[in-house]
Amino acid sequence: MADLLEQLESLRTTERRVAMATLVGARGGSPRPLGAKLFVGEGDGGRLVGSVSIGGCVDARVVEHGERLLRENRAERVTVVVDDEEALELGLACGAEFDMLIEPVRLDVADAAIDAYERAIRAARAGRTAFVVTRFDGATAARDVLDEPPGAPDESAFVERFAPPDSLVLVGASDVGAALARLARTLGFRVVVVDGRDRYATRERFASADEIRVGMPSDVVQPFLTDGAFLVLASHEYKYELPILRDALRRPLRFVGMLAGRKRAASVRGLLREDGLSDAEIARLHAPIGLDIGGREPEEIALSIAAQLIAVREGKAIARRA
Amino acid sequence: MYSGVVLEHFRRPRNHRALEAPTAAHEAHNPLCGDRVRVEVVVERGVVRDAAFTANACAVCTASASMLTERVIGVPVRDAARLSDGDALAALDTSLPTARVACATLPLRALHGALAQLPATV
Repeated sequence: MADLLEQLESLRTTERRVAMATLVGARGGSPRPLGAKLFVGEGDGGRLVGSVSIGGCVDARVVEHGERLLRENRAERVTVVVDDEEALELGLACGAEFDMLIEPVRLDVADAAIDAYERAIRAARAGRTAFVVTRFDGATAARDVLDEPPGAPDESAFVERFAPPDSLVLVGASDVGAALARLARTLGFRVVVVDGRDRYATRERFASADEIRVGMPSDVVQPFLTDGAFLVLASHEYKYELPILRDALRRPLRFVGMLAGRKRAASVRGLLREDGLSDAEIARLHAPIGLDIGGREPEEIALSIAAQLIAVREGKAIARRA
Repeated sequence: MYSGVVLEHFRRPRNHRALEAPTAAHEAHNPLCGDRVRVEVVVERGVVRDAAFTANACAVCTASASMLTERVIGVPVRDAARLSDGDALAALDTSLPTARVACATLPLRALHGALAQLPATV
């Protein structure tokens, strides 16, 4: 899940000008959140990056509108209605309506729209929430970037919120850790890898990680145990788990999970109890970690953990393993 | 498997803290198993007045660090510097497989690293 800035960087390698379609309204349900974007490259075979639905007829129609508006060099608010009668009759279409703002944007020279989004995303990457407020007057779209949401409700404005990505602190540069780092980065997490061993916690093994820190794990992890962070202990080493858990389970982290079988997890809980942690604090520990999908390879285990992280992020009841 | 001494010092380590103003400190680590131990000392007039450690380490290493810091408090620096691997192993009162000897002696390396940093005047 590349963020908008990564999508734009990718597009710039081949495209000078694209149509940017933004999902600004939906009725009847939408598989993508408002603000989702699809970029349509110029001409036959122009690149398609991103999506405003989960594929199928909606994206296809947006591509057609995008190509048309690139030729006409103008912006338009377009409503796409899923009204294929045969599909509706068979119950295979949802009958939803989607509103898109589709506008040509330049990638080879300065462009006000692109500039606004790049500023907002850079702010989010730096840890600040930013809001892009778009007003469309029927001919042109104007944007403001704010560091707070606009005060009064304004039906003519479309507001997009760019928040810092959720942070995954991954302790243990194991193969499971490496696979999880790759997956989590793809899923939009900011990934920090921590280990005491510099032969394991290497850039080669963790190419996509945002940060790699080697040192005394319980020390180097400290600045990253921020409110709402996700912590995964994938070291399978009590020497790292116990010192970190004694502290982490008392912090308002969003998720604390540990790679362990049931027996070892029970032993770790027992030691934490001896160390004075309360039952409520210990109950916050997800161990064994991951949804029970039955895999045993590092990538399979990482997938089960990543699935649990998503469930927690989305507030789903499946978030805790049975 | 381990002596009662090892388990006692692992679960209730002595001097397991960070010193406010150490005269010297050194962190040693085993690059393969990942044990890490930092030993800090306060030295006055050639004597170790205080010693403490922090560790992310196995039971043997933690117990060894605990016993080592107990042993060197009040000891002249020159005597502390002469402590050997054999001293560290004997203190554990347990028979360690060869592969675990490095765990027991890691705190001693940290202590020696800290003492080596001391200026000649302390």
